Formats: sequence, C-alpha cells, structure tokens
Amino acid sequence: MKDTSTPTGGTAQQGVPAGSRFSRRHLPWLAGFVALLLLPWATPNAYHHYILNIILINVILAVGLNIVKGFAGQVTVGHIALAAVGAYASAVFAAKFGLPFWVALPAATLFTGMIGALVGIPSFRLEGAYLALATLGLAESVRVFIGVTDYIGAAIGFSDIPPPYFFGRSVVDHVAYYYIVMPLALVGIYFSFCILRSDIGRSFKALREDPLAAAACGVNVRKYKLLAFTISALYAGCAGSLQAHMAPGFLHPNSYTITEMVTLLLMVVLGGLGHIWGGVVGAVIVTIIYDLTRDYYQYQMAIFGTVIVLTVLYMPRGIGGLIDNYFATRRFVAIRKAKANAA
Amino acid sequence: MLLEVKALSKRFGGLVAVNNVDLVIREGEVRGIIGPNGSGKSTLFNLISGVYQAEPGGQIVFAGEDIAALQPHEIARRGVARTFQLLRIFTQMTVLENLLIGYHPHIVYSSAVAAIGAAKVWAEERRLRDEMMELLGYVGLTEYAEMPAGELSIGQRRLLALGRAMAMRPKLLMLDEPAAGLSPVNVDKLLTTVLELKKRFGLTVIVIEHILKVVMESCETVTVLEHGEKIAEGAPAAIKNDHRVIEAYLGKEMDDAEVRAFLKAS
Repeated sequence: MKDTSTPTGGTAQQGVPAGSRFSRRHLPWLAGFVALLLLPWATPNAYHHYILNIILINVILAVGLNIVKGFAGQVTVGHIALAAVGAYASAVFAAKFGLPFWVALPAATLFTGMIGALVGIPSFRLEGAYLALATLGLAESVRVFIGVTDYIGAAIGFSDIPPPYFFGRSVVDHVAYYYIVMPLALVGIYFSFCILRSDIGRSFKALREDPLAAAACGVNVRKYKLLAFTISALYAGCAGSLQAHMAPGFLHPNSYTITEMVTLLLMVVLGGLGHIWGGVVGAVIVTIIYDLTRDYYQYQMAIFGTVIVLTVLYMPRGIGGLIDNYFATRRFVAIRKAKANAA
Repeated sequence: MLLEVKALSKRFGGLVAVNNVDLVIREGEVRGIIGPNGSGKSTLFNLISGVYQAEPGGQIVFAGEDIAALQPHEIARRGVARTFQLLRIFTQMTVLENLLIGYHPHIVYSSAVAAIGAAKVWAEERRLRDEMMELLGYVGLTEYAEMPAGELSIGQRRLLALGRAMAMRPKLLMLDEPAAGLSPVNVDKLLTTVLELKKRFGLTVIVIEHILKVVMESCETVTVLEHGEKIAEGAPAAIKNDHRVIEAYLGKEMDDAEVRAFLKAS
C-alpha cells in the first residue's frame, strides 16, 4: 500500500487488553484471585481439597486441549497420552534421577512439548477422522508401552514419586499443594489468553476454518499446526507432572485410557470449543459432575457420550459460544445505534 | 514490470488446464482475464498464488524473483493477495478478525513475546484494530466488525474478501470473479470500491470476471483464455470485436457445407 494514513481511532477495542496499568477493569480479576487464595479454607475437608487440585490440573489439561482442538481445529485424541508422558517423565526425573520437583516439572513440561511437536507431524498430511485415528493409535501405544515397561512400574504402577519440597519441608498436604497448582493454572490460563488474543490465536482459527485461505493470507500452515501441538503438549506435560507429584505420589497406566480422553474432550466441548474460557468452564463443571456421579461409574461414559452428542447437535460452540453470541449481538446493536445517532 | 509469466502450464492427468501461457503485467495496471468456463482462468490464479505447482519449465517472476516453486504463504508474504471464486472467508471469525488475519504477514511481534503478553503486543493490536476499522469503512462494513462473517450476505462477503486481501497491503491484487452473484447495484458499488482502492493505494490488479461491464469499465488491458491457451490480448474495445473472442464465447457460425456434414454425422 502506498497510502500510510494515520489511524483514526476506531471503535472496536474489544478483546484487546488496555495495557499493563492497573485500572477498575482489573478489579474483578483481583477479586477472583483473592477468592482462589481463600478457597481451600472455604471447603470442608481434605477430600474436597484433593478435588480442588484435580479440577485445577484438569483446567490446565483442558485449556491446552482447547488450543489444539478448539482453536487450531486439529482433531487429536492423543492429548491424554501427552499427559501420561509428562507425568511419567516427571516421575522418572524425580524418583530415578533424583531431581527436585522444581526441576522435574519444567523438564517434563519441555520434554512433553518436544513429543507434542512430533505428534503434530502427521497433521501435515492428515485431517479430521484420519488424524484422530493416528493420534488415537499413538495414545494407545504410549499406554501399552507404559504397561509393559518395568523401569516405570509397568502394569503395577509407578509408586513413591517424591512430593515437592519447599524450604526443606515436603508438600504432601493437599492444601499446601493447592498453592503450587493454583498459581500454575492461573499462569497457564494467562498464557492461553495472551496467545489466543494475539495474531497466533487468529492464525490458529484461520487454519481451523480453511487452511488454503489461511495460507493465501500468509499463514504458514505447517508452522502453526506444529506450534498448536507443541503448546498444547506443554500444558499436558505440566498437568501430568502435577498429577505425578501430588500425594500419594502414584501413577498407573489405567489413568490414561480412552475413557479419560472422552472425559477431557467433554470438558472442552461443553465449555466451548474455540472459546477462550471454554477449557476452564468445562473442566470445572465436568470434574465436579464426574466426582458427584462416581457411585454410578458404570453409566458415566454413556452419560458423557450422550452429553457430547447433544452439545455438538444443539450447542456446537458450547457454553462459551452462547456467551460470545450474546456479547457480539450487543456490540452490533451498539455500533448500529451509534451510527444512527451520528446520522 | 511487476509480474511476468513465461511458458506456464498445468496438467491434471490428461487435461491440460493451462497451456504455455505468457503474461506480462505492468506496475499499476488493471488487467482483465476473461474466457468461457473451464478456460483455465482460476487455474492461472492458483498457479500464480502457489496453490498449484506449475509444470517444469514454467516461470512466474514477481518483482524480479521467480516464485514458481514457493509455497502459498511465501508468495502472499511477497505481496500477492488474492480472492477466491468461492470466497473462502473465515465464517466463524468476526468480520474484523478476517481483516486482521489478512494483516498477518506484517505482524511485527514474535510468538514468544505474544505468549507472555508484553505491553507492546497489545499496543500493536490496538493500532491494528484501528487501522482495520478504517479499512472496514472503505468497504462499508464498519457496523458488522464484531459479527461472525458467516452472518453476512453474499454481497457483503465479497466486500469482506476484498477487504481481507487489501489488509495484506499487497503489491498485486488478484480478484477471482469479484462480482459473481451480485445485483447490478452491488456490482457498481464493488467496481467503485475496487477502483477507489486501486487509486488510493497504487495497486496492480488482475481481475477475472464474466460481467463484461466490470472488465470494460475497469481494465486497461484484457487477456482472453480458451482451453487453457491465450487467444487474444489488448484494449477492451479491441477485444470486444475480436472474432476469436466472439467465437470462444458464442461459438462459430457454420456455413451450409459444415451444417450438412454435421447433420450427416449425427
């Protein structure tokens, strides 16, 4: 373009944070943070503290899955296997190599990120159901590999994974562990917020909708597919590591089956595929329902499967999509009114 | 010269979609490409924009560089923007996001900086949104900025596709049947918008179009394709009266002997 006319101060500022200075807009966030700090003291017993940690770990997992599945549109069912990679890698780093949790966690996260990049390579050629099949095969391979490898406990499970130590004291108590998991979940949500509200998020959405049109707009489709798989794997690795070191410090390959993957998918689908808060909302709701219906575990998968089908049919963009539509309509009406008033 | 196409061919099995086509586009020119359905117009666009790889021996030189072997995103980054016959707008993204993705090649911040949410990312995003809102104003879609693009009418979608291509700050803009399916009023509106943008931003434009009014009123030179081959090239007025072009569009008039031979054969 030869014309380099200066910006005229448009009206669409939605979705772009106003900057780093604190303002009244940040108050709800601060209130939310304070509420999260106090949450363990408002919950009645140790079991609920354990569930709080599980919710937050699932939030990290679901936010990661939402990046690759919801935003970048890559149909992967191997995310749970990446969590297993993160969990077992962290357990090996800590229990076998003697590394402290604070080193094992980032090391396992990075290791899973690299594995995630490898998992992303088939997406260059495969799409939709074919990619789902490829990632499913990969996921099952990981589970079977764990189940037959004595070094990591095989089918008996990996036990005695050391807990984190903080100033010489072990963090075994679930309330104390909460103060490790909660900030990490918040950091994960913050990173996803930054990524998805920037050009990276737009590029993910573009390649989800139409890779050819995205490429015609200058988006390097392969690079962004790999980036989506890698970022989501980093989340899975972090969540896996947190699972591994949480008391009682035990891992079993049966925690990473297709059933767990369906539960994880439900979190993202119900919360809103491609919605920035979808993973968070879905993880909280589904983990609570999962826990409340444990007594009817034989029906859980049937119920979750039905909910996924109904959500896809009648609420394809999930709870987050409903919220998005509401605000989009409000903004449209506001701009139209402003134009009418100006005229 | 901005674009030079030499001996460009494309085969799909036994079908020769583009056959040994040469094309020279001067900087600032508006070039029309016409021809009956299946004559290879869109294939030519797909070759120039890297969607298809040309047969060996063909050359596409853009701004002095051979781009024939490059990927579509690499070609787009060099300043070649295009629209599609079937539009291919991002229907689930908002209208504004569609324009913002067009600006992708010019984003200055890195992925790592974006991930940590550095202040300069948000400052750049705000500046971009202002700039894209201004561009939305040019194509008359300001009030739809935050609506999903899938909710636009066909005419609005065509304007959005044009806006998205413009957001790429292209040197060369390739429009594939931009007026298809539009009412006469909207064709005029689109024509005015394209010419205004071309003038304002000093663009070079190649336009494929069946609506002759668009070609006659906007193009300085017209290239005619038939069965993948270039059969004519020249000023619109001359092309309109070229017997090969008339034959290509309307068919050849048969003399009595040919009619008798045809009837006998059938």
